[in-house]
Amino acid sequence: MGNLVWHEYARYVSLTATVYTIWAAFFGIYYRKFFWDFVHGIVRAPGGLQPAASDGIFVSIIVKAPVVQLLNMVLGFGLLALDYPLPFLKNSAIHRSFPIRIVLLLLQAFFAILYYQGTNGAIYSIIAALCYTRAQLNGEVMPEAKDNKGRGGRA
Amino acid sequence: MGENWFQREFLQPRRLAFNVIFYGLHLFFFAYGWHSQETNKKLSALNALTWSVWTSRGAGLVLAFDGGLILVPMLRNIIRVVRPKLTWLFPADENIWFHRQVAYSMAFWAMVHTTAHYVNFFNVERTQVRPEIALDIHYTQAGGITGHFMLLIMVLMYTTAHHKIRNQCFEAFWYTHHLAFFFMIGLYAHATGCFVRDSALPAYTAVFPFYTTDHCLGYESWRFTIWPGIIYFGERIWREIRARRATRLSKVLVHPSGAMELRIIKPSFKYVAGQWLFIQVPDISGLQWHPFTITSAPEDPYVSVHIRQVGDWTYALGERVGAGPQVVASMTKAALKGNEKDENIYGTRGDFVEIDAAGRALPNVRIDGPYGAPAEDVFNVEVAVLIGAGIGVTPFASILKHIWYRQKKGTLGSLKRVEFFWVCRDAPSFGWFQTLLQEVEAAQADPNFLRINIYLTQKISEDMLWNIAVNDAGAEYDPLTLLRTRTMFGRPDWKAIYSRMSQAIQSGQYLPGTNAQLKSKVGTYFCGPGVLAKAIKEACQEANCASVDFTFAKEHF
Repeated sequence: MGNLVWHEYARYVSLTATVYTIWAAFFGIYYRKFFWDFVHGIVRAPGGLQPAASDGIFVSIIVKAPVVQLLNMVLGFGLLALDYPLPFLKNSAIHRSFPIRIVLLLLQAFFAILYYQGTNGAIYSIIAALCYTRAQLNGEVMPEAKDNKGRGGRA
Repeated sequence: MGENWFQREFLQPRRLAFNVIFYGLHLFFFAYGWHSQETNKKLSALNALTWSVWTSRGAGLVLAFDGGLILVPMLRNIIRVVRPKLTWLFPADENIWFHRQVAYSMAFWAMVHTTAHYVNFFNVERTQVRPEIALDIHYTQAGGITGHFMLLIMVLMYTTAHHKIRNQCFEAFWYTHHLAFFFMIGLYAHATGCFVRDSALPAYTAVFPFYTTDHCLGYESWRFTIWPGIIYFGERIWREIRARRATRLSKVLVHPSGAMELRIIKPSFKYVAGQWLFIQVPDISGLQWHPFTITSAPEDPYVSVHIRQVGDWTYALGERVGAGPQVVASMTKAALKGNEKDENIYGTRGDFVEIDAAGRALPNVRIDGPYGAPAEDVFNVEVAVLIGAGIGVTPFASILKHIWYRQKKGTLGSLKRVEFFWVCRDAPSFGWFQTLLQEVEAAQADPNFLRINIYLTQKISEDMLWNIAVNDAGAEYDPLTLLRTRTMFGRPDWKAIYSRMSQAIQSGQYLPGTNAQLKSKVGTYFCGPGVLAKAIKEACQEANCASVDFTFAKEHF
């Protein structure tokens, strides 16, 4: 596929996925729902799906207190800082490491898949992680940013 | 970059009008969608969901509007026909820009719409106004499934369309963007099974469009938005048919600078100077179409394009026609050394080499086009300033040739003078264009009609400097370009150039026979990188005065 530099492409997917996930987590705080509650759950009218008793742990960290959503948001902002990147992270060893991103993205996907709003964010995060994996397997490295290299000045 | 966001978006009348109309319409549709939902008595059950359903409906109507609009700027053939009549109204050459604006706003409203629906379905499940759970609506009903698929397609399309990715790997962009087909299908089918209904269960039917309007009270927007889709699809089929008409690659010429010239014969292909086409070589890829500027004049018996070997596809093309990188590299080296200067009468530097079709037959080619470019309008102005930067000089090959042909016939229209600027980084890339410039320059009877200005922006070495200093003195031809015109070094000072031109026109020296009462039109046609375009545009605007009207047009690649 041409000269596609996978980690540069992965960055855009990762940023999209992360912003989506942060937004989803934000709404997940207000409208709390365990995504997998349909498994063994019962529907009550009104009241909606009641998760099975065996899902108690998820109910307490997603519905009773939005722990997963908050964790996901913090993680999302961390990823955003890493991928955008924030000035102090630029050119650091963490910024140049793909495995860290792959792990963080998969972790983000894992958190996001737990609550109602996070599904798409999780899917996009996995896609981004796959793209970074491909970059890693292809042996791509992130070149050190050169100083004073913007998008071009005035002619 | 000189001007801030506010100045750019609000202080230019045209941009301001666009912003007010475009975003005004969006806000209007949002407000109307919101209002029509909130006040609909039939949907009172749904209205129990309050703000989230009003928001999703408003944003839904906006998205329908965007979905209808997104394909309009891509109707290339229709735009080509319509453009000359509508240049006063909108810059039709900015179609890709418009396509992007629609896409951006689509992304924003998709966010609003999706967020609102997540809240809707959550509350539908909680209150059980319908006997279904949120995930049923998300993943088992047409609206939910198509919506999630469209979002995924958008992620893929938007990320691969980033200018960096497009430059790196055009194929990734090109193939991924064809997901648009499924996106549009999803868009038109999104209301099937309708969330907006007065019945508890989805109102499907067995016949098209698979739902009943007795219960479905949506906008039925697909009835309108599908038309641009159908027209676009028809246009793609028409392009395919047109591309299949008899086409023959008659010659491949390799110029010492590394550019390949393909001469193609296609009798059914009609075009005007400055237009461009898509080319496909089935031997390399049966699916990819690559855009190139036409470098022949309409009067020529063939259609030619100049192709530099820079990417995958162009390398493959070079290999296929037997002008691979090695061949070109050795020629370029020879050109750099300057050993091509065999002293014949014209002092022509390294002529092109024709690739003979002895070994393998030349490949089949297919061309699609032509498509418009602003430089068609050169004959409507008195002074045409043609500025090409680097490879952006290609459209001017066609235009200069065309001007030359018209000059011979004496049908120049209102065109009195032509100023041609070429800003170029390195000397070897002058090669292929030079033969043409020589011809045109030599044919000039009136020394003032065409003025060629060449600027070399490369940092030159000391050796080269001495070479030029010694060889240039008193020679009839410029040592670098072998034109009568001298090459200038460094970047051109556009403001000075334009203000001098403006003064000269006002004092009547520049255009003999015109007086200051008549407004002279000076049209600038530019092809090259964006930063340079901006600088020239500013210079143009600054030079505008009562008696001289400077206009600016830019070509996109």
